[in-house]
Amino acid sequence: MTDVSLYHNDFENKWCPGCGNFGVLNAVKSALAHMDIPPEKVLLISGIGQAAKTPHFLNCNFFHGLHGRALPVATGARLANHDLPILVHMGDGDCYGEGGNHLLAAMRRNIDVTLLIHDNRVYGLTKGQASPTAEYGFSTKAQPFGALSDPLKPIPLALSQGVGFIARGYCGETDHLSRLIQKAIAYPGFSMIDILQVCVSYNPVNTYEYYNERVYLLDETKHRADDWHGAMDLSLQGEDRIPIGLIYQKQTIPFTKRIKTLEHGPLFHRSFDPAAVQAVLDDL
Amino acid sequence: MDIDVTVTIGGAAGQGIQTVGDLLASVCHRAGLYLMVINDFESRIRGGHSFMQLRISDEPVVAADDKIHLLVALNRETFDIHAGELAEGGRILMEEDGAGGSDEALHVVDVKFTNLAEKAGGKIMTNTVAAGAALEMLGAPAELVVKVIESHFGGKSKSVLENNLKAIQMGRDAVANTDFDWHFKWPDRKPAGKMLSGARALALGALAADCRVASFYPMSPATEILVYLAGFMDRFPLVVEQAEDEIAAINMAIGASFGGVRAMTATSGGGFSLMVEGLGLAGITETPVVVINAQRPGPATGLPTRTAQGDLFFVIHAAQDEFPRFVFAPRTLDEAFETMIRSFHLAEKYQVPVIVLVDQYFNDSLSITREKWSVPEKIERFLVSDADMPDPSSYKRFAYSESGVSPRAVPGAGRARVMVTGNDHTEEGHLSETIADRNGQVDKRHKKMLKMAEEMNGPDILFGDSRLLLVTWGSTDGVVREAVNRLRKEKHDVGAVFFSDIWPFPTAPAMDALSGCEGFLTVELNASSQLGGLIRRHTGLQADGAIVQYDGRPMKPGHVVARTKQYMEGGQ
Repeated sequence: MTDVSLYHNDFENKWCPGCGNFGVLNAVKSALAHMDIPPEKVLLISGIGQAAKTPHFLNCNFFHGLHGRALPVATGARLANHDLPILVHMGDGDCYGEGGNHLLAAMRRNIDVTLLIHDNRVYGLTKGQASPTAEYGFSTKAQPFGALSDPLKPIPLALSQGVGFIARGYCGETDHLSRLIQKAIAYPGFSMIDILQVCVSYNPVNTYEYYNERVYLLDETKHRADDWHGAMDLSLQGEDRIPIGLIYQKQTIPFTKRIKTLEHGPLFHRSFDPAAVQAVLDDL
Repeated sequence: MDIDVTVTIGGAAGQGIQTVGDLLASVCHRAGLYLMVINDFESRIRGGHSFMQLRISDEPVVAADDKIHLLVALNRETFDIHAGELAEGGRILMEEDGAGGSDEALHVVDVKFTNLAEKAGGKIMTNTVAAGAALEMLGAPAELVVKVIESHFGGKSKSVLENNLKAIQMGRDAVANTDFDWHFKWPDRKPAGKMLSGARALALGALAADCRVASFYPMSPATEILVYLAGFMDRFPLVVEQAEDEIAAINMAIGASFGGVRAMTATSGGGFSLMVEGLGLAGITETPVVVINAQRPGPATGLPTRTAQGDLFFVIHAAQDEFPRFVFAPRTLDEAFETMIRSFHLAEKYQVPVIVLVDQYFNDSLSITREKWSVPEKIERFLVSDADMPDPSSYKRFAYSESGVSPRAVPGAGRARVMVTGNDHTEEGHLSETIADRNGQVDKRHKKMLKMAEEMNGPDILFGDSRLLLVTWGSTDGVVREAVNRLRKEKHDVGAVFFSDIWPFPTAPAMDALSGCEGFLTVELNASSQLGGLIRRHTGLQADGAIVQYDGRPMKPGHVVARTKQYMEGGQ
């Protein structure tokens, strides 16, 4: 195992003390160290939000792009080099709100990247508005009479679209989350972990105490990860108890394996053949 | 020109106008003739009125003509709309029943397209009958016509080919020995060049530039570019992917470019509007990307299948704040091919977005290439690797430099970690809000403009020492060129200036080109004369007038001639 300190950097962290993102950050570093993926051989791609700042706080390659648009950037980077592991960090607003269409497309394409959604059910960067996963009635300064929409349910959504790796993690269970991330990186295809994340500044409801009282490990239950219907039932249950772990997994054909030209190696490593192009022009 | 004939084929969408036009164009091309084919269609799959207009000549043609010599009317509406454009001595091929009792009916040659097609084997061959009749009117050699039919229908079943051969012959027989002033003696030459649409020229340029990822969301009139490119995915290191929307399309291209390969997207104005934030992302992250905007009229949906040059200011200024970019507006097929190669090269050399501005008229028109197209022997990537760095572990993606261009490494390619953000940033690529980093990075990016400006070509000039100059850009080139030639034949002292390198604006050559004349008029397909505004902004020179058109239709040389004369006679 690689020394985890290799992933530490001295760039000043900009999160609030106690932020749930720290748990996610530590889990990512630990997962990369366990898998012996050196910092220069992994690419982190993120959108905009507190979660999307994650790549700045560890040693790695990264592209920190636009709000909602991390998945298209990841798709392009994947096409350019399908040998490089890619982790995508987005918040719930970033991924399920602004980037909703891209999430649907990523599920359909089955792009082989690992999507980590730091799901704290509130907008942090813009100081506390309801997010797509906020409960109906969740009260904020922007929604003084409570959020009017019902929350998006990411796990059933992913299940319904045939995603091949769906998990739920919790920022308060770092080792467990690290193991999930390792499995997700190893999975060939689109892997998605919705991470219960605490926002200490703007979400007074979904706190560490809230989750600590409710979460339980799926590993310790009879649930089998290949049981789609069981997974659907689990993920539609209320919040009295919240399962964390690998909810569903099946074999799929990753996007880059669906493209014939990529059988000859990553596009980035291929050489240019001017004679072949010239032949096309001459044959017109 | 010994030969200069214009044939218009009109009918409802779905009647097979395209087939008639393609057959005629192929026969002319194979005989070594030059061609300009414009496509005019409505935004619908069936019905309405569409037409294709072919101008055929023994010399290069660069614009559609104002008059029609042979009108092939597949329905009554075509007759009603176009009969008035008939040149003296022109003829109309149609089913007589449709002509009514008008004056133009005298020019009708009655061809029972439908009956003949049914005799040949089915109504579906109406268009082949029409093509046969038109080719016979023009005097096309029989063997050549047969060859083209064979190659056009060769891939279909034997009966389809045989029936079409029958149909084309029936069409020919139906008009045999009909008098027609533009019946001409056909040359027997090799094709003068490749016959291509503008859209395909752009796609082939991208292929020759080693573009490896192209993402797009379908939108007229840009779709054909990447649809055509997609056909090469099996033979080249190339992925063409239809994105979920234009926002995804440009972000995918940016991701691919960051990942180490050349990448592009193509769209029209509405899609470009959605791409604008991504364009800014390419700007601040200094990620090379090529974006084609094929213009059509109108904000929002406008006229989806028609042409315009209304996005000049838009693409120069698109996205908030400021960052360097290139804008090119190729004028011909040859220039479009070269522009794509040049755009990918310059995008990587300066790490900036490049916008290629074309339009529906350019994309959908067919014409003949004039030059031999060559693929670059080597693609210069302007990338750095570990070997170029004293210490790869301290690599800085946005390091300050004399030219403003920082060393660009590829993530995962070596020990150097590549860190990029759309936020303002440090030299390393980390978030920063300090004044020093903000000013330093803005200055660094803007410094690139100095060298970028040196890459720009001045305008092309035709009779530049004339008293009056017509000034235009992009695909309006051909129309203005022909108008100038016509005006000079009538002894008017008129020349022209053609811009294809738009941004950074080539100020000094523009000054040179325009300061000697007594006056100049801009000629553009927009309402406010955007090029005129740009020239004034950068040179202080004010155009004396503008010939503008914004009806969505291509400009015709006759219109430019008339408006120029009007100006010279003191009107405006």
